[in-house]
Amino acid sequence: MAAGGSMGAAASTGTGSGARSLFRTRRLGRRAQQTLIAYSLLSPAIIYFTVYFFYPIGLEFWASLFSGQPLIGESRFAGFDNYVTALQDARVRQSVFATLTYAIGVTTASIAIGLGLALLLNQRLPGRTAIRAVIFFPYIISFVIVALIWQAILDPYTGILNGVLANFGMPTQNWLNDSSAALPVIIAITVWKDVGYAMLIYLAALQSIPSDFYEAASIDGASPAQQFRYVTWPLLTPTTLFIAVVSMIGQLQEIAPAYLITNGGPADATRLFSLHVFEAAFFELNIGYASALSFLMFLLILGITFVQFRLLNRDVSY
Amino acid sequence: MTWTRMLFSYTILMLGVAMCVFPFLYMLSLSLQSDADIFSGVPILIPETLQFSNYIDIWQKAPFARFTLNSIIIAGGITALHLIFDPLIGYVFAKMDFPGKRFMFVAVLSTLMIPFFIRMIPLYILTARMGWLNTYQGLIVPFAMSAYGIFLMRQFIRPIPDDLLDAARIDGCSELGIYWRIVLPQVRPALATLALLTFIFQWNEFLWPLVAVSTTEMRPITTGLTLFNQEFFTQWNMTAAGGVILFIPSLLLFLFTQRYFVRSVMLAGIK
Repeated sequence: MAAGGSMGAAASTGTGSGARSLFRTRRLGRRAQQTLIAYSLLSPAIIYFTVYFFYPIGLEFWASLFSGQPLIGESRFAGFDNYVTALQDARVRQSVFATLTYAIGVTTASIAIGLGLALLLNQRLPGRTAIRAVIFFPYIISFVIVALIWQAILDPYTGILNGVLANFGMPTQNWLNDSSAALPVIIAITVWKDVGYAMLIYLAALQSIPSDFYEAASIDGASPAQQFRYVTWPLLTPTTLFIAVVSMIGQLQEIAPAYLITNGGPADATRLFSLHVFEAAFFELNIGYASALSFLMFLLILGITFVQFRLLNRDVSY
Repeated sequence: MTWTRMLFSYTILMLGVAMCVFPFLYMLSLSLQSDADIFSGVPILIPETLQFSNYIDIWQKAPFARFTLNSIIIAGGITALHLIFDPLIGYVFAKMDFPGKRFMFVAVLSTLMIPFFIRMIPLYILTARMGWLNTYQGLIVPFAMSAYGIFLMRQFIRPIPDDLLDAARIDGCSELGIYWRIVLPQVRPALATLALLTFIFQWNEFLWPLVAVSTTEMRPITTGLTLFNQEFFTQWNMTAAGGVILFIPSLLLFLFTQRYFVRSVMLAGIK
């Protein structure tokens, strides 16, 4: 910019006022031209995001106001009836409860374990890049594989985990068919898969904290625990909130463990909201109702994101 | 560092490493077991004879070659579209000046709050109306670009000095020429990051193909394997062999790019 500006100034002083005004009109012309170019380059994005994001959300809200099969079959305008039905449905409430438990469980555990691992890996340990890569690895693996492996491991008859328990004389456990164990188990499986992501983000944040902070703290006589409490943790607040937002948005709509591992059972214990919506839409073809459920989830995600960003904006100054 | 602290750190980290590696080794072991091993009632870690024929069997029971090809076409197609559009749109937001820029940028970023699952029902209806169910374009086009990719590219393009672009402009280079000859070569590592992340995550995608594909021959390997598993449920040697086939490309890609991959995720998190 600086070079361009001085060049313009040199040109205009050198060639008089006529050249200056010519230069200015060319600049104005350039601006209009750049606007035109910018919007033509943007046009694929404008079309794409309209067709695949904004229009569908509008369409979904529209469909949610009808009972039956709006857009694909017979339907009748029903106002907000679908929303009222949804909020009164005990099965919906159960699935919302399961989903919140799942999302909050996965998020808190990933943050706690991810931070712990990041703190360990932030030391000068030989082989730490390899360890880091291995622990991160499950994050990039398809949930289809993850589901298959853990179903095999947890199988009550042929699974290796029950084999180990049997060696210690313990009874066979059928975790995935136990209505009090199934949800914690799928939370644990998701944490196993995703914790590497939180670990990497924390590691990046830890590496950006200047070492002077710790030197100053230790000169003041702060113990390692105090250093963590008063230096590391407050400095990591934006990172923690970032991971929390990303994880909550991801997990609230996650369908994979419910669909692939438990199929919502036993007794709806792991019937995540997403699975409920999926079945209402594609098994029961109850499009209007499913759209209302889906739109409710949109509002929930919007609300949570909003609250978390408010927290982020408040706490970001330390 | 004291050696007790080092011992403590290694113990916990090695436990973590074991927990991450063991399940995959177990899958490999299962995929090489015979039916007798599977149903013996005693879980086996290292089978006495390795039954490689499982891999041939599943190839005959389901068209895994076609599934794999579909996955490559779909994930590859989506990655190619991302590489075309994300940096271009990112460049417009990073370096061009025009009225309505802020509004457009916020609009693009706001799509991050409309995740796929929430759009799935209307997307299904739209795709059906276009006649794109069971087609490659129906599986590729809905994921052609992403606000995340655009934002990432904008962050990498912004630090390129404006002087460099102005100099090219004075030399008579067009906007597209500047983008193609100056901007793109500067952000090559970021493009590789984008390609890697996009490919891996699209390779794993199973929900949209589950909804938008009803014919066996159009299935990618994720849903192909899911339905295979439902059919051969508890016959773990068969399903594990399918799992290994789906797993190997991810493993290879990660092994070759792991340092780079880990760094790019860390970087993307900060930016």
